[in-house]
Amino acid sequence: MESVVKTFRTAAAPVTVLKGIDLSVLPGEFISIVGRSGSGKSTLLNMLTGIDHPTSGSVVIGGTRLHQLNESRLASWRGRNMGIVFQFFQLLPMLTLVENVMLPMDFCESFAPAEREPRAMQLLARVGLQGLETKLPGAVSGGQQQSAAVARALATDPPILVADEPTGNLDSRTAEAVMALFQELAAQGKTIIMVTHDSLLAKQTRRSLVISDGELIHPAVSAALPRAGHDLLLKFHHLARPVHLPAGAEVPSSLQLGIVAGGTVIAGQAVWGFGRLVDLAGLRRAGGNPRAGSQPLELLVLDEAEVRSLAESVRRGGQP
Amino acid sequence: MMRPRWHKALADLWSNKMRSLLVIVSIAIGLFAVGLISTTHAWLGLAMRDGYAAQNPANIIITAAGFPADFVDRIRNLPDVQEAEGVALVSLRVQTGQDTSTPIDIQPFPEMDEKQINQLTLLEGKYPPADREVVLDINKLEDTAARLGDTITVQLPSGRLREMKVVGIVRDMTIGAGGMGGGYFIASPQGYITFETLAWLEQPELLNQLHATVRSGDADLEHIQSVAGTLMDEFERNSLITISRAAMTSTAHPNNPYLESMLGLLVMLGFLVVFLSAFIITNTLSALLNQQIQQVGVMKTIGASRFQIRSIYMVLILVYSLAALGLALAFSDRAAYALLTFLSTRINFNLPAVQPVPRSILLQALIALIVPQVAGSLPILQGTRITIQQALSGTGSGNADRPSVVYRWLAKIRGLSRPMLISLRNTFRRRLRLVLTLVTLILGGAIFIGVFNVRTTIDHYMDRLGKYFIADVNLTLSEPHSIREMTAILKQVPGVVSVEGWAGARAELVEPDGSVGEAVILQAVPTDSTLIEPILTAGRWILPGDENAIVLNEMFNESLPGIAIGDTVRLRVNGEETEWVVVGFFQFAGKSGGLLAYTGFDHLSRLTSMTGRSMFYRIVTAEGMHTLEQQEELGAVLEAHLKRQGIEVSEITAGLSLNETTARGLDTLTTFLLFMALLMAAVGSMGLMGTMSLNVMERTREIGVMRAIGATDRHITRLVLVEGMLIGLISWVLACLASFPIGKMLSDVVSIAIFSMPIDFVFTATGVFIWLGLVTILSILASVLPARSAARLTIREVLAYE
Repeated sequence: MESVVKTFRTAAAPVTVLKGIDLSVLPGEFISIVGRSGSGKSTLLNMLTGIDHPTSGSVVIGGTRLHQLNESRLASWRGRNMGIVFQFFQLLPMLTLVENVMLPMDFCESFAPAEREPRAMQLLARVGLQGLETKLPGAVSGGQQQSAAVARALATDPPILVADEPTGNLDSRTAEAVMALFQELAAQGKTIIMVTHDSLLAKQTRRSLVISDGELIHPAVSAALPRAGHDLLLKFHHLARPVHLPAGAEVPSSLQLGIVAGGTVIAGQAVWGFGRLVDLAGLRRAGGNPRAGSQPLELLVLDEAEVRSLAESVRRGGQP
Repeated sequence: MMRPRWHKALADLWSNKMRSLLVIVSIAIGLFAVGLISTTHAWLGLAMRDGYAAQNPANIIITAAGFPADFVDRIRNLPDVQEAEGVALVSLRVQTGQDTSTPIDIQPFPEMDEKQINQLTLLEGKYPPADREVVLDINKLEDTAARLGDTITVQLPSGRLREMKVVGIVRDMTIGAGGMGGGYFIASPQGYITFETLAWLEQPELLNQLHATVRSGDADLEHIQSVAGTLMDEFERNSLITISRAAMTSTAHPNNPYLESMLGLLVMLGFLVVFLSAFIITNTLSALLNQQIQQVGVMKTIGASRFQIRSIYMVLILVYSLAALGLALAFSDRAAYALLTFLSTRINFNLPAVQPVPRSILLQALIALIVPQVAGSLPILQGTRITIQQALSGTGSGNADRPSVVYRWLAKIRGLSRPMLISLRNTFRRRLRLVLTLVTLILGGAIFIGVFNVRTTIDHYMDRLGKYFIADVNLTLSEPHSIREMTAILKQVPGVVSVEGWAGARAELVEPDGSVGEAVILQAVPTDSTLIEPILTAGRWILPGDENAIVLNEMFNESLPGIAIGDTVRLRVNGEETEWVVVGFFQFAGKSGGLLAYTGFDHLSRLTSMTGRSMFYRIVTAEGMHTLEQQEELGAVLEAHLKRQGIEVSEITAGLSLNETTARGLDTLTTFLLFMALLMAAVGSMGLMGTMSLNVMERTREIGVMRAIGATDRHITRLVLVEGMLIGLISWVLACLASFPIGKMLSDVVSIAIFSMPIDFVFTATGVFIWLGLVTILSILASVLPARSAARLTIREVLAYE
């Protein structure tokens, strides 16, 4: 995803929901995108799935520029390459569970017709729905519907799975089962992108991205401030200035506070790894001489006075 | 400032223009059909009754052997007579090609420019014609192959030819009057000339038909008949021989039986259309209310009472109704006028100067105001009765997605592809909507199929009537000839197999009080005739040895109520009163046939002093010569042959020509019926289109999901199309079943109007298959638009993530 901007025109004024998002996902990654309601996470998901078009920027998946395809070809591409799990299941009420699972195979002509039903039965068994295959969605519980929706998303054996709040309407036991299944799929090499507002679920993924007010928070910022709210993270994200130092280079004395986004900082006996907030000025006052380790150092530099002012306003209970 | 609740009603209307348009068009098409039907009904009545009366048609027509001009003056001076005119009616033949000719009835009037009775309407050219010019009636103009400005060649009895210029084209609405009803369709082309031209055409200047109007009571048939009796007495007092007489009211257009059947059908179809429109409106409004359930919940939460909410939707429906009324009013009169124009050329009336019909406008307005409100009341009541919790949670919008028995049964169907299963099961999701849609389509289809059955039923009956005219060629001579000699002469012509001499006479019923009543056509056939197969309803046919035995048609039951086998009837034949014993009854063509009776040839020929002689011959041809063309060809050969023998032919007709001319009248009726059936089909397919659009609107989310899992435009379009076609096919099966009772009902309406009795209903598969094709096409057309909209929906629009 390169510089993706999405602006919606409203009667009052244009509203920019995504503000230049850059995101790369590697094959086999299991990532979560966490954000509060209205943060733009669903719009981001719409961009990823080709459901909506960006105002500017581009989305390229496996070499395919999604938004250059027309609606029909995009649907066909999506059916073969991407399984989508919706928050409200979205099973077709007129089809039985097994028929719902077979439907994407029918649409995309994947698997031989004779193989489709056994495959659908197998997928339903995998999500724990043996014996319920011929039930209509209206006749099973919400959790069972979501399990069937996961099975449907896997029907065409797509390399990518996109899930929008997949456990949002499930009890905790079913939610755990769904997450376990995702873990298993990720282990088998599926790329899984999950949108959630639940930071506990996000922790179960290999990479978690925070989106706030249409911007993705630098992962190092969110890792360094695990207890900070999304607004505060966004503030830090805005304050942070990236600095690159070659391996072994001394950190300039003008830098007072930083977050390590890559490499390590060595200051005397102390070593700070990825994602820690480093009080560079404090280290110097203690007699240390911070410098990059054996790898180049990626540092997000913060101005101490600005951070103190931010902390003070948070302490007073005001807006950051 | 407008109160917010009314603003909401208008905003609802404006915010979803497609849905509003659908509701408005649904209501408008019903109103349009009602407007079309009621306006046509009013205008047809105006044209056929008032328009006909405006021509000052004769109330009494008496055909006589001849009478002088001063006799007409005497009749005119009778106290009950308003106006009287004499006509010198002649039948000649006009050449239509090198060797072909057709009969033409020519009416010369003594005072043509002062003609009061049976007035003609000038359509083109001039009227009256000068001497040796002719004006033709428009109805059978094609048969003469002549146009305005052309010259027609008339064959005179002497063999001479006379040319007359066609200087005018008129419409004579009285064609067929007094000629036993269906006369219009079997009448020859009509020409009008001056009295002075008559001698030039080698015809005697002798008046032979008297037209008279009554001074008062021109709508009272009994009074007119009594005046006609007085006129007949006048003829008798002056020793003038009469041949027939007819009495009719001033509003009784000769094609009234067709008008009556059409008006009967119009009223029946009008009711059906209102019924169907109400179904469509109920369907559409139910869907509208379903979409509004959450808003209903919100309004209740903030304090709206049920009444207040209902009033919002009632106002919304009112606005829809008014828009639909405007639309319907704009088009219904135009369509009615187009229909009237079509009918005017078929059943012979002048297009009236039409005005909007207040009754029709009022009817449309009433239906517009009442039917949608009634149709919408159920969904409104249901929609506003749900609790706030149900409304806001979205669980109150019906049970469409809860598995029903039908659904569970459908879920067991295996072996179909999933997209096909979706179409199949979607069809049964909104069961009430499906039922209402099916009802409209079934009724439309059943009427459509029924029309074909009516046509076949009438054709079948016409075939049976054809058994009264089995001969291939019917020959009428100018004077009687020996049957034995004629048979020998005619058999000289190759192809002639057998010949029968028949006899015929005009007769009148003699009422119990001794007065002369209605005209009767008395046919006399050889008792061993093979050229007639009557449809006997009681008693027996004429047998050898019968003397004054007579078999009567069904119309005698109306003229002589209670008449039974063994009774005697008195007839005046050729001026002589005779007594006849009824031995049987037969079924003929109802009103179209007038009073018709058969007796034995020998008895009638003795009565008319024509033993062994006849003017009327029925000729049977060899096998392989039974087409109309072959019959006409042989007729021409026979005419030429008889001419060479010095025998003068008055008329020669092919056996099948009667069928053809009768079919013309029935064609008009069935074309009219077919038009109405198509209107019903249009209403039905409009209902289907509405249903499909509503289904698509309600399933946009599901369509989005299907898109998300790989469904292409083609998949989505096919899903909607298959569902539409499935509904069409289900309706077709049920329409086939419903077409039996509906077809029978239509057939009865038509046959009672034309034949005065229901005729045996015959079913044909033609309509069934044509409707299958049509309903398939209509289903596709009705689904194409919703399918295209469905395919155009983007997932973002339907899943609405944000």
